[in-house]
Amino acid sequence: MANSVIEFRQVNKSFDETKVLDEIDFEIEAGKFYTLLGPSGCGKTTILRLIAGFADATSGDILFEGQKINELPANERQVNTVFQDYALFPHLNVFENVAFGLEIRKISKTEIKTAVNEALKLVHLSDYGNREISELSGGQQQRVAIARAIVNEPKVLLLDEPLSALDHKLRKEMQGELRDLQRRLGITFIFVTHDQEEALAMSDQIFVMNAGKILQSGSPVDIYDEPINHFVADFIGESNIVPGKMQRDYVVNFDGQDFSCVDAGMKPNEAVEVVIRPEDLDIVAVDTGQVNVTVDTQLFRGVDYQISAHDKMNNEWKINSIHKTSVGQIVGLAFEPEDIHIMRYHETEDDFDARLETYE
Amino acid sequence: MKKWHISNLYLIFVFLVLYLPIIYLIFYSFNAGDTMDHFSGFSWRHYGTLLSDSRMISIVLNTLIIALLSSLIATIVGTLGALGIYSTKKAAVKNGLLSLNNVLMVSPDVIIGASFLIFFTFLGFSLGFGSVLLSHIAFSIPIVVLMVLPKINELPATMVDAAYDLGATTWQTLTKVILPAITPGIFAGFFMAFTYSLDDFAVTFFVTGNGFSTLSVEIYSRARQGVDLEVNALSTLMFIVSLLLVVGYYLLGRYNQSRRMQRVKAAEAKINQ
Repeated sequence: MANSVIEFRQVNKSFDETKVLDEIDFEIEAGKFYTLLGPSGCGKTTILRLIAGFADATSGDILFEGQKINELPANERQVNTVFQDYALFPHLNVFENVAFGLEIRKISKTEIKTAVNEALKLVHLSDYGNREISELSGGQQQRVAIARAIVNEPKVLLLDEPLSALDHKLRKEMQGELRDLQRRLGITFIFVTHDQEEALAMSDQIFVMNAGKILQSGSPVDIYDEPINHFVADFIGESNIVPGKMQRDYVVNFDGQDFSCVDAGMKPNEAVEVVIRPEDLDIVAVDTGQVNVTVDTQLFRGVDYQISAHDKMNNEWKINSIHKTSVGQIVGLAFEPEDIHIMRYHETEDDFDARLETYE
Repeated sequence: MKKWHISNLYLIFVFLVLYLPIIYLIFYSFNAGDTMDHFSGFSWRHYGTLLSDSRMISIVLNTLIIALLSSLIATIVGTLGALGIYSTKKAAVKNGLLSLNNVLMVSPDVIIGASFLIFFTFLGFSLGFGSVLLSHIAFSIPIVVLMVLPKINELPATMVDAAYDLGATTWQTLTKVILPAITPGIFAGFFMAFTYSLDDFAVTFFVTGNGFSTLSVEIYSRARQGVDLEVNALSTLMFIVSLLLVVGYYLLGRYNQSRRMQRVKAAEAKINQ
């Protein structure tokens, strides 16, 4: 790909005996917002450290604009990192922190001054140049860390869970600002997080990782609507996952009934998993929906009620509804064929994509 | 009104016990008589003798030079040592080095002094300024290591990564990030080494030779011949100097803090406009 900035080719990484990264292959295009999403310990931060040059791959190639950079030391790579704990230099003030990278590159004082002031303006800290780091709040330190990285005009900006230490409101605000900053600067962002909401809200492209492997990559909508397996469906958003059987193309059997769906390409009678998102379920009167369920619990969450129920096969159903029910009540659940997503067991991402090609 | 507690009484008592001997010593430095038996009148006489005692003054200078030089060299060696211990990857080696360092800290001065004496005579090294300086450097290094190492351990590992990430070489990372960040520890190590060297008696007593002496050794040998009030005068002067140092340090801290507060206020006023 002409536009590829970073490429991993069969990259493995082991610490002593434990394998942290297992045959990682991916390409990063210039100018997009990427997110590595996964639970802690899945290897997402290790990928970032490999790109930054803080760690070495056990095997495989890491390419930067087509050049192998496995051996290139961290201080010669055209990437900059925003660290989880910000890693600001406590003995320098805000201005000096941001200027650090430029001073190393021996840029003239006046140029440094303009660049730093511009970077501080971008992160809304124009008047904070003379402040000490210890005088700043967490959110402000976060912004300094971002300014310190972007002032060097890197080709790729790596962000290692930079928002995890902020409170909810500030985090939401910074999500929007980061997204906005990425669009304006046109720098490739690689963002690491375990927060699926954050990933969906910000990214052009998401890599979902677990146990050292990339399970699925795609746009937020693709990944949310068509998760490849149980792990991804469960990790991204809330979902109802019930076992089923593929009768034939476009017909699936679960809960003792046949339902029409929009998936195909499976073997007849293949055991599959059926995913329906809680917000796609409508509560209707008994026997007027596709499935009847008994309400077990109901939780008021402000925007809606989170209802947990079970059907006659004892499958659990989570429903998000703005309508109130009562515990013990039997209600009908209505959903459309498009709301049903079928997942095969042990399907690889390549096979999954190939199968989608056949009928979409 | 504050309540009067028995604990205040205790505090006063403790400080009296701690400071009474010093006050007693200072008081008699102004005695017109020659002994501390009774106070026969105010006089600067002993200060006069002290200032005209060129041997005593040269010893004071010797002591200061030894303390300054030894603590300076020990700070450099100790800081490098602490950096070395920090960057040691293997836990066993690291703990081994640290233990070797700590053994020197806790072993009695007498043993260190005696071993240096044996060492220097074995090498045929003449005893005097050089031997005192070397042994002071040697016993100061573990102190510096112990003061600096916790500061290095406090540094977040990502800070070093950040320096590399921003393009710094290993040398630039050391000089621009690590050393400035651990400066308080280095200064603390220097001052600790300085005071240890200033008031060391046991080690110096072993390794000092003819014609070279430091304050503690000199005062000890004079005290054996019966205390001379010139020693009182000298002690008074040294006490005042250290008092001034403490006050100066306090004022400096206050000044820095108030300046920082002003800056914060100014910045806030600017933002709030």
